[in-house]
Amino acid sequence: MIKETDTDMKALQIVKYGDIKDSLTFNEVSKPGIQAKDVLIEVKAAAINPIDKSIILGNLQGMLPIPLPSTSAYDVSGIVVEKGNEVSNFEIGDLVYSRVPQEQMGTLAEYVAVNSVAVSKKPGNISFEEAASLPLAGLTALQSLEYAGIKETDKVLIHAGSGGVGSFAIQYAKAKGAYVYTTTSTSNVEWVKELGADRVIDYKTEDYKAIVKDADVVFDTLGKNYTTEAFAVVKKGGMVVSVVGPLDEESAKMFGMADYKLPSELSNLVSEKEAAYKFIFMHPNGAHLNEIKSMVEDEKIKPILDKVYPFSESIEAFTHLASGRAKGKIVVKIS
Amino acid sequence: MEDLINKIKSRLQLSSEAEEFLYSISKVKTLPKGEVLIRQGEVVKKTFFVTTGCLRSYCIDKNGKEHTLQFAIKDWWISDYIAIHADELATLTVECLTESKVIEFNTKELDGIHERFPEFESYQRHNLERHVVSLHKRILNQLQLSAPERYDLFLKQYPDIEHHTRNYHIASYLGITQQSLSRIRVEKVKKIALLP
Repeated sequence: MIKETDTDMKALQIVKYGDIKDSLTFNEVSKPGIQAKDVLIEVKAAAINPIDKSIILGNLQGMLPIPLPSTSAYDVSGIVVEKGNEVSNFEIGDLVYSRVPQEQMGTLAEYVAVNSVAVSKKPGNISFEEAASLPLAGLTALQSLEYAGIKETDKVLIHAGSGGVGSFAIQYAKAKGAYVYTTTSTSNVEWVKELGADRVIDYKTEDYKAIVKDADVVFDTLGKNYTTEAFAVVKKGGMVVSVVGPLDEESAKMFGMADYKLPSELSNLVSEKEAAYKFIFMHPNGAHLNEIKSMVEDEKIKPILDKVYPFSESIEAFTHLASGRAKGKIVVKIS
Repeated sequence: MEDLINKIKSRLQLSSEAEEFLYSISKVKTLPKGEVLIRQGEVVKKTFFVTTGCLRSYCIDKNGKEHTLQFAIKDWWISDYIAIHADELATLTVECLTESKVIEFNTKELDGIHERFPEFESYQRHNLERHVVSLHKRILNQLQLSAPERYDLFLKQYPDIEHHTRNYHIASYLGITQQSLSRIRVEKVKKIALLP
C-alpha cells in the first residue's frame, strides 16, 4: 500500500469477469490525466451500486464493453485538486460529488478525472460518505420521475422502497407533493414509512395489486412481471416509467434500432390503458446533481446509508452488495 | 461607502485626506448570491464591510460538513481574521447567501491606516474591543445556554436572517443538528400559539 511515486495511486480494479473475490484486485496504477473540460477529484468516498456488481459478474459485457483491467464504480465525492483550462464553474478545493460518465468509470481509487458537466458541488450539510451515496440512485429517480412529470396530488407507485433508487424516489415524490405507495418486505416497513411514503405495502403479506388503484404514475424498479403488472394498477392515460423493463420504441430508435418493436404483450397493455411506457436511461448530469444538492440542503431528501467500509475492505463491500440485504447504500471511505 | 464614512465620522474627526485614503483602498462591489469572496486554503488579502445582503463565513471539517462561524448583514464586517492576524492560509470560506453589496478593503492597508492617520488608533482599538466582547459572548453562550436559548438570541442578533439562510446554515451556527432546530421551531410556534 505504499505509493511508489506521486504519479501512482491505489485503485480497486476488475481484472476478469466472474466471481467477486476472484475478479477484484487492488493495483497500483497511474493517476489519471485530465482533459480541458475535466476536473481531477481527490476521492474521499465512493459508493457502489448493483450495476457495478453486474459489470464484475460479466452480465453486461454485450452492452457495456469495458477494457480489462478497469477501476470499478461510478459514484464519488471528494475535493477538486486539478482542473482543465476550459473549466470555469469549479475551483481547486471545491467539495464535489458526481456520477462519473461511463468512459471515466473508476471511483474506487485515490483520484478520478471527471468531465465537469457531470459534477456538482456537494451538499454542505452532509458528509462525504453520505454525498457519495446519492448520485447514481438519485439521478435515476429524479430523471425518471421528472420525465413522468409527477405533480402535487398525483398517485405514484414506487416499487422496492428500501432500495437505493426507491428510497430516494419516495422522498423526491413526497417533496413534489404526490401521494406515494411503495412496496417493501416486512422488516423494512417501518423505516420506509419514515421516508414519508403514504402507504407502505408489505409484499410478503399484502397484494399491492389489490391496494393500488388508478395510479397516475408507476415507477418500475424491478422489471420482469412487475413491468406488465404496472398496467393493472395505472390509471387510464397514466404513465409507466421503468429503469429495468424492455426498451421503448422511441429510445430504441435513438440507438439506431429503427425496426425495434415493444414486446407485443406490453404494447397491447399500453394501448388497452391508453397509457405511456418509457424506459429511462440514467445520464450523468451536474445540473441535476445541483438540484439534488438543494433538496438535501432543504432537508427534503436525506441519504440512507447501510454501511461504510474502509478502502482496504472494498471487496467485502461488494460481497455485502451481492447479498442483496443492504438497507440503503453501501459506501467506501477512500481517504 | 457614504454610510461607512458617516459611521466613522460619528466616532472621530475624519480629515479629507483620510477620507480620500479610505476611498483609495476600497472598492464598492455588488455580488451575486453564491459568490465566494474568500476560499478555504487561499491567501487572504481582503476585508469586507456589508452594506446590503447577507454573507456567511464557515469552515469545512474533515468529513466534509460545514460549520458556520459568522453571518454578516448590513453594517457588519466579515473576513477570515485567523488568516489575517496569524498569517495563515484561510481556514474559512466567505460566501454571499443573497445578492449583496459590500465595500472591499485591502486588509494590510486598512490595518495600517493608523500609521498615516493616528486618529484611527482609538477607533480601531474600539472596534477590536467590541469584536472581543462579541466573540467571548458567543463562546460563553455556546457553553452555558440551552439550544432554544441560543436560537432566540440568534434571532435577536440577526433579525430577518431566516429569509436569507437555509436551515442547515443556522443549525451549523448554533452547533446543533437540523432536526433539533426543527424541533425548537415547532416548540416555539406551540408556545406562541398557546399565548392568550
